[in-house]
Amino acid sequence: MRTRKRPLLFCPILGNKLKSKCIMSSPIDKKTLAHLAKLARIELGPDEEEKLLKDLGGIFSHFKELEALDTSGVAPLTGGSDLQNVFRDDGERENTNQKAGIEQFPETHDGFLKVPPVFE
Amino acid sequence: MSPLENLTIKSFHDGLVSKKFSAREIAQAHFAHIKKADTNIGAYLRLSEESALREAENVDLAVARGDEVGLLAGAPLALKDNLLVKGGRATAASKMLEGYIASYDAGVIQKLKAERVVFLGKTNMDEFAMGSSTENSALHPTKNPHDPTCVPGGSSGGSAAAVASHMALAALGSDTGGSIRQPAAFCGVVGLKPTYGAVSRSGLIAMCSSLDQIGPLTKTVEDAAILFSSIAGHDPLDATSVHYAYDDLANPKLETIKKLCVGIPEEYFGEGISEEVRSGVEDAIKKIKGLGLQFKKISLPHTKYALSTYYIVMPAEVSSNLGRFDGIRYCRTAQTNADDTQKNAEKGQRESVSSQRTSALSEIYFRQRGMGFGTETKRRIILGTFVLSSGYYDAYYEKAQRVRRLMKNDFESAFKEVDVMLTPVTPTPAFKIGEKIDDPLSMYLSDIFTIPANLAGVPALSLPIKSYPYPSAELPVGFQLIGKWHHEADILGLGQLYEKI
Repeated sequence: MRTRKRPLLFCPILGNKLKSKCIMSSPIDKKTLAHLAKLARIELGPDEEEKLLKDLGGIFSHFKELEALDTSGVAPLTGGSDLQNVFRDDGERENTNQKAGIEQFPETHDGFLKVPPVFE
Repeated sequence: MSPLENLTIKSFHDGLVSKKFSAREIAQAHFAHIKKADTNIGAYLRLSEESALREAENVDLAVARGDEVGLLAGAPLALKDNLLVKGGRATAASKMLEGYIASYDAGVIQKLKAERVVFLGKTNMDEFAMGSSTENSALHPTKNPHDPTCVPGGSSGGSAAAVASHMALAALGSDTGGSIRQPAAFCGVVGLKPTYGAVSRSGLIAMCSSLDQIGPLTKTVEDAAILFSSIAGHDPLDATSVHYAYDDLANPKLETIKKLCVGIPEEYFGEGISEEVRSGVEDAIKKIKGLGLQFKKISLPHTKYALSTYYIVMPAEVSSNLGRFDGIRYCRTAQTNADDTQKNAEKGQRESVSSQRTSALSEIYFRQRGMGFGTETKRRIILGTFVLSSGYYDAYYEKAQRVRRLMKNDFESAFKEVDVMLTPVTPTPAFKIGEKIDDPLSMYLSDIFTIPANLAGVPALSLPIKSYPYPSAELPVGFQLIGKWHHEADILGLGQLYEKI
């Protein structure tokens, strides 16, 4: 049968290193988390905040391994393919599916999305 | 034994054109089986019985007229719920999209509709394809068909479970860090993550645009070749899709395949792989060696950085892609707003229902995104927001992009020595439901062998080491074949050769 002989966080490539690192500090403290949640426009409950801080701590300690790797002179790989300059003809099109998009608005007014005032 | 047990895309097509059965009969048999079996498994989120039977009848009429029909005509397929089918719901298993109706067909759906495929329904997944167990679905978890106490894998867990339990002939999933291959391995089916750019991502609800690819989950490698051939190709609506003409992938030249050199990357065979996986993959290697293929030990030295790199690059793109879900568009309706506000008012945490209408626009964003997204989704958005924020961009996001380049270089050098690579798909077979859900790092680790192929953009195939009838007494084990960019022919060819052993 399937028995787990290894600790839960045993990584086949990194080994136990991962587990011992999990208690290290994270660059995200409670104040930073509140700021990030504000930037991301996400309301977090108090329980969620606590859990996120703990989880992010574990994840960030894992990222430490990247610091030791010398990447000077390595160009960032910014996408999935080597394609460059993908153009299309800049012609006029008579039909759009704008109407289908509008149908997915909860409230509309003359074809526009109706929302509460942006400035109050 | 279900009559659907031995049915593949290929044998369905043969039976259909020789009039052994009709497409309608087979579609009905699937629906009958789903209604019985899926109460225990939970692979589907919703069925489209009416439109499926209508399309099946159209195919039957075409066959009766003597029209020539393609390999996929009338084939009953399942679709992961992050694929858009015009006029149908697509929720990505998120509360955020519970009211959304797709306004256009995904590129792959256009192609499959032209082939007259019968769509049975939409399958369960981790919310927005984020997860490795399908436990992150906002609707319900899916169980592994071979052991209901275990997860089916994820995020395409519903698709894998449906195919494994004969509730669909085949299915489409999406793979960002292993989301097709890992559930395929856990459920004992075949899963292909195509080369980045081979398949259009238009109409796939985006998670991580530089890594996402749509691909098939099937009962045989031959079926994967058939289904992949039909969805591959350039699409003007996806600027990253490429023009590439594939050969006849379902009929590989076996003599050419036998001349391939197979690489064994040492980094994928360290400690921490379970005994079942290790011995299973070793068996597969032995069998392939028996066919006369040459093997070579290779190294992909930056493999150990894959998880860190992935968990920086992916959340960054997630935080950006999921910015569009503002709680207003995509039909988070006014009614839902009121309902949610009501719930909160009852909890005594928030203002009364009446204040909803006068609250500022940003209040809606905060509240709707707070309530509409699940835990894992929020975790990744917050993480992505951080690594992209000024002051940390260079240290995390750009650093990870540089490491991603080094990982791609690893594959480029190794593929000068070998034609394909053989590795495990996952460190262990399917784990228990609930085992890892509260421990994100441990969950992320189940994708450690599948992530590198996404970061490098190469195609990778997950296939079971042997056939696992449903339900199987043991948990399935798979192995992975990784190919050169656009050399799907090599891995699908070797996979088909392996199946015939």
